[in-house]
Amino acid sequence: MDWLINNAFVQDIIILARPATFNIYFALASIPLGFPFALVLAFGKNSTNPIISNLSRGYIYAFRGSPLFIQFFMFYSIALSMNLAYWKPWGIDHIVMHPLFIGPLVLMLNTAGYSAEILYGALRTVPKGELEAAQAMGMNRWQEFRSVTWPNMIRLAWPAYTNEVVFLFHGTAIVYFTLPVINEQKDLTNKAGELFERDYNIFLHFSVAGLYFLVISLAIFFISKLIYSRLNRHMRVDVKKSMAFKPNYLR
Amino acid sequence: MLETLPQWLTAWLNEDWFNRLNYITNGKHLAWYASFRFTLIAGVAGAMLAVAFGLLGATLKQSKFPPFKLLGDIYTTIVRGIPDVLFFLFFPLAFEQTVEYFSARANCSPQELANITAWPPCEAAQWFLSTNEYLILACVSLGLIYGAFSANVIHGAMQAVPRGQIEAAQAYGFSNRQVFWHFHVRQMWVYALPGLSNVWMLLLKATAFLSLLQIADIVLWAERLGAPNYFARVGPVHPDWRWKYYLVLFVFYIVMAMLSERFFERLQEKASRGMELAR
Repeated sequence: MDWLINNAFVQDIIILARPATFNIYFALASIPLGFPFALVLAFGKNSTNPIISNLSRGYIYAFRGSPLFIQFFMFYSIALSMNLAYWKPWGIDHIVMHPLFIGPLVLMLNTAGYSAEILYGALRTVPKGELEAAQAMGMNRWQEFRSVTWPNMIRLAWPAYTNEVVFLFHGTAIVYFTLPVINEQKDLTNKAGELFERDYNIFLHFSVAGLYFLVISLAIFFISKLIYSRLNRHMRVDVKKSMAFKPNYLR
Repeated sequence: MLETLPQWLTAWLNEDWFNRLNYITNGKHLAWYASFRFTLIAGVAGAMLAVAFGLLGATLKQSKFPPFKLLGDIYTTIVRGIPDVLFFLFFPLAFEQTVEYFSARANCSPQELANITAWPPCEAAQWFLSTNEYLILACVSLGLIYGAFSANVIHGAMQAVPRGQIEAAQAYGFSNRQVFWHFHVRQMWVYALPGLSNVWMLLLKATAFLSLLQIADIVLWAERLGAPNYFARVGPVHPDWRWKYYLVLFVFYIVMAMLSERFFERLQEKASRGMELAR
């Protein structure tokens, strides 16, 4: 067993396991808020009210049109400049300025923009006939949403949304280029970089970090595929084809 | 800088505005404006390389020879699972090390090579990269990453060209080579453009990473200019202004996205002229 443990590759896998949980944390923490926010933005963009529609449209355009890297720098520096005036007097500075808070916050704002565009596209393709049927049945707006719009929308958007979650997970790789590293709270890129600076073996450390990303991306796909086949259990959809692990250039 | 302004303009701007204008045209700011060239060069050169690598990757994927096909498939799936920034950092550093490895074998003494404690083994093998060299490596890196994306786009687009058009060309007696270049590849662009425009958007956003390779690009300058400034002689010049500079970059990227959207719309119109159905 010893030769296995002492193998440099296995050593790296062991060392990088803890940093990987930080990447998973960032992704997991930003989705529960990002998805509802995206839903609100998608309905906002679809709204007939020009103010709401244009605001949501602008938000989605801005967050899809600029790099996450810049968004991180911008929001972190904005939070930093408000530190003395607001966070400190309110006594919440150690929460607001903490990377484990502000990291998911920025990721949430970012993923909301991308997901909103996906959900908006799905919202536009909800079958008109089903909506009309719901109206003819005398459903109120909430019932219509609950029984027609939502199930159709989530089913149509699911493959693209999975792709977005994978991109979001890849986005967590740049969190610590901007935010301060506190003690041993390091993510995969950060730790791989630190290991690289120690012995300059870039091929080993970056491959292992890349492997972690690859495996977790595959896991996301696997789980998402299970959910997708459940969403489509009454439909004739080729789940395998629409959820193939292929490079999806659309983001 | 502002001494060249005509007198009436200086008089019209009151002192407050004049000082502000003076501040944003000082040497450091001019260096910042000049550093936009790195972003633009990396974007354009990266995109051209990405299309080249994309064509190569698509050719490999379509190859009938299994090892080539496998190579093409590996190339296109590897970027699916690995974040772009990791690959962006990996390639230049790995390239640098590979060069240093060969340089060490040629230049270092056998004793130094026998017990390597640090990298590179000896001073002579150290390769200090200049900004321009890093920029070239960054462009190749961007080209490799987004080449894999565009390989997929081009591969899909090659298959989307209607069989009938190819058959019509063959029926007219064009040679295989002519059919490939003048019909298949020519028509492919129409179907590939929407996807390639998406790849360009991703690439454009990835140009923000240049500062990670020690290139003094717009992000690095924004950090330098915005950081709280204090001179012992003058006192504090300004507090933390970084967010203002990052806001400018945020807007810059959005404007770039808008412009490229327009550009690709035009291109699509041009590529699909005479093909009403394809649009």
